[in-house]
Amino acid sequence: MKMAASRGLATSVRALSGFWLPVGVVIGLIVFFSFASNAFFTLRNMTGILGQASTLLLACLGASFVVLMGSIDLSVGAMVLLVGAVTVKALNLFDVGAGAVFIAMIAGCLLGLVNGAIYAFGRIPSFVVTLGTLSVFTGSAWELLQGRALQYFSDSFENLAIGQFIPLIPNIALFALGAWAIASLIGQTTRFGRYMYIIGGGESVASTVGIPLTRYKIYAFMISGLMSGLAGALAVARLGAAGPTLGEDLLLNTLAAIVVGGTSLSGGIGGVHRTLIGVAIIALLDNGLNLMGVNQYTQMVIKGAVVIAAVLIGQDRRKSIVIK
Amino acid sequence: MVEHVVDGIVALRASGLTKRFGETQALGAVDFSLDFGKITGLVGENGAGKSTLLNILTGITSPDQGTIEISGREVVLKDYADAQMLGLARVFQEQALILNIPVYANLLLGSEARFASLGQFIRRSAMIELAQQMMDTAGVSIDVRRHTGDLSFSERQLVEIVRACMGPVMLFGVGTPIVLLDEPTASLEKRDEQTFFDLITRLREQAGSVLFVSHRLGEILSACDEIVVLKDGRRVGAVDPAEASERQLHRLMVGRERDRDYYHEGEQVDVKDKDVVFAARGLARRGAYDNVNLEVRKGEILGIGGLLESGKSALGRGLAGISPPDAGEIRLMQDGWERPDIAHLIAKGVGYVPAERLVEGMIASLPIAWNISLASGQDVFSTPAGFWRHRREAEVSAELIQRLHIRATSPYQSCDHLSGGNQQKVVLARWLARDLCLLILDNPTRGVDAGAKEEIYRLIRALAADGLAVILITDELLELIGLSNNIAIMRHGRIEAMVPAPVDDKPSEQTLVSLMLSVNAGQLLGDVA
Repeated sequence: MKMAASRGLATSVRALSGFWLPVGVVIGLIVFFSFASNAFFTLRNMTGILGQASTLLLACLGASFVVLMGSIDLSVGAMVLLVGAVTVKALNLFDVGAGAVFIAMIAGCLLGLVNGAIYAFGRIPSFVVTLGTLSVFTGSAWELLQGRALQYFSDSFENLAIGQFIPLIPNIALFALGAWAIASLIGQTTRFGRYMYIIGGGESVASTVGIPLTRYKIYAFMISGLMSGLAGALAVARLGAAGPTLGEDLLLNTLAAIVVGGTSLSGGIGGVHRTLIGVAIIALLDNGLNLMGVNQYTQMVIKGAVVIAAVLIGQDRRKSIVIK
Repeated sequence: MVEHVVDGIVALRASGLTKRFGETQALGAVDFSLDFGKITGLVGENGAGKSTLLNILTGITSPDQGTIEISGREVVLKDYADAQMLGLARVFQEQALILNIPVYANLLLGSEARFASLGQFIRRSAMIELAQQMMDTAGVSIDVRRHTGDLSFSERQLVEIVRACMGPVMLFGVGTPIVLLDEPTASLEKRDEQTFFDLITRLREQAGSVLFVSHRLGEILSACDEIVVLKDGRRVGAVDPAEASERQLHRLMVGRERDRDYYHEGEQVDVKDKDVVFAARGLARRGAYDNVNLEVRKGEILGIGGLLESGKSALGRGLAGISPPDAGEIRLMQDGWERPDIAHLIAKGVGYVPAERLVEGMIASLPIAWNISLASGQDVFSTPAGFWRHRREAEVSAELIQRLHIRATSPYQSCDHLSGGNQQKVVLARWLARDLCLLILDNPTRGVDAGAKEEIYRLIRALAADGLAVILITDELLELIGLSNNIAIMRHGRIEAMVPAPVDDKPSEQTLVSLMLSVNAGQLLGDVA
């Protein structure tokens, strides 16, 4: 009897964890940090969090598709850095103003194409491919920046990120939420979105029903690149410069946000729409712990523990026989 | 071995085993025992509770209620390792060998410590010697130094059987092993089957207890000393094989008798004058099949039979364009000759149902509806702009679930809790969601219970009557004979013979087997007589 009851509890916790638990965690974090720090629940800080979280959210969206299909993109942060550097260079050379965003998205898309093509045609695990390009892209960006922060001077470009079309909400947050809405729609209402689940859930099955796997795998990496490009351009617009440390924290934070949001690294489970909550949790933790004066090292410890805890609670591990 | 039989003590006794999974009662108060020196058969449809019972007996699942005694002592099994220490060994339905290591390493998996000297250095020669001894004692002629991945599927199955049968005595020092065999013969070739039956007979002579689960009732009847029948999680009877027939067993299992129209032979139509839907010429794939030519007409069921390694499954994959052939062409209807290309074939209305349902057939973690729409994402279930047609998916799935009697509460239920038969119907439904002209089936009733089997036969017949061309690749002889209009027999990758199978003149099993083995039919009949 007792066993049955505890199993019932475990099941209901898991059912709740699907959606409400992460939402509860977000609300809980806001309440906790509001009490723990006077500076937390202020307009200034909220606007700040929105700005920070927006870059992370933009960078996560494409990568969520990649993770959903059971692959991984480690090069997101490096693409943000390289595209950010390229964007500033373009701004300073051609005076394209806000149009630089399009250059950034195209550049990102091409970097994603490189990842996807090597992965799909070369049949090399995505972990290895993007580990390699992570280094290649980062090195190229540093080469371009000569190791220094490169400033730009364009009001229209700056306005893209820190302007407030709606009072108190920086434009970059509108971009991020808009992109999230579009990505969620793509995930839930298109053939591409469906195939991401299918490839992640059972690639060998997908190959017996004629799904053009190579093509869709490349698409996913191109979208990851495109979103990273957008994130890179807007991050640079927000910061006023592209520096060598741009995107440095994204490697861990994107994967953490995706996993905490509920998309399984083994593929086929979760979805891009869920990444919003993951991003909120990571961004709130970063900001709140900073304000509380928790030192950098302890922050890392806490963040890591949260990622593991989220997976521990959220996923039904009884179904997985082999965990790698 | 009389000395083991001490007043009513049996090798294994389970009393009142009960197990629930959510809404379903998997086992309801099942009593069960295995005697020393006896082979006990366990039969029942899929979903009757056989696997659950075996899982409980080997400590993999814990029962909600009930007790297990081994040699008269009550035990609580925490996991499979626990069960192994008590002399239980099991051959699982899915093979559990590691393919990239030698056979001896698989046989002795988990017992490496006894070959270790100085802590970590493993004495390879001693391992090989003991492993070979296990093989020889079991009467199996496989060199244990061979790479496991190089063995045929059937040989690998034998390795697993040897591990289960010889392990308890030769590795754990158990006097009287209890061996649980879950469908051990399903993937054995004919010549390996005899080796297997000799082995379990020897085990019986040494007072071992064997539990033998099989869908092949004939085997069960000839090999077992006692047969237990499960139905819907309950024990519905124990049968003395000396007095029972297949028909009686079947009736106990499904609660109804198999009638003469099992394969709906009366509905078979003459297809001689019909149009050719699909033709292949000169198909070849290295190491699999060679120079295959065939034709299928509208409404025809073309059976393809042969031994396990005859190349028939590889041919099916080639025809469907999944692993395209190295040479040769196919032609669909009035189109020209072309190389098989999967996307093109599917778009033109060719469907393929693979033999390995859970590996290639379906994504069990995803909803039924998603599995049904899987092959039609490029046309039926999405708009030209690439948006998914959710409503059509829901409607078509609900309709097919009803039409094929798939037992499910909702089209959005995931497939992993469906029985094998219902899962197979989902895979078939996937192709019925499209306009088809040819359906290629590889062992469509493997691991499917008798009830679902009947429904699948009826469906195949009805589809053919509607003009669908069907290529039926199967290991089941009766199915091959009963359903097919014509039967291609493959041997060593070539079509050895094309045997017509009209309603009033079906070939005999002996004829087909002799063609598969390429011995003279009369000679074989003589052997049998």
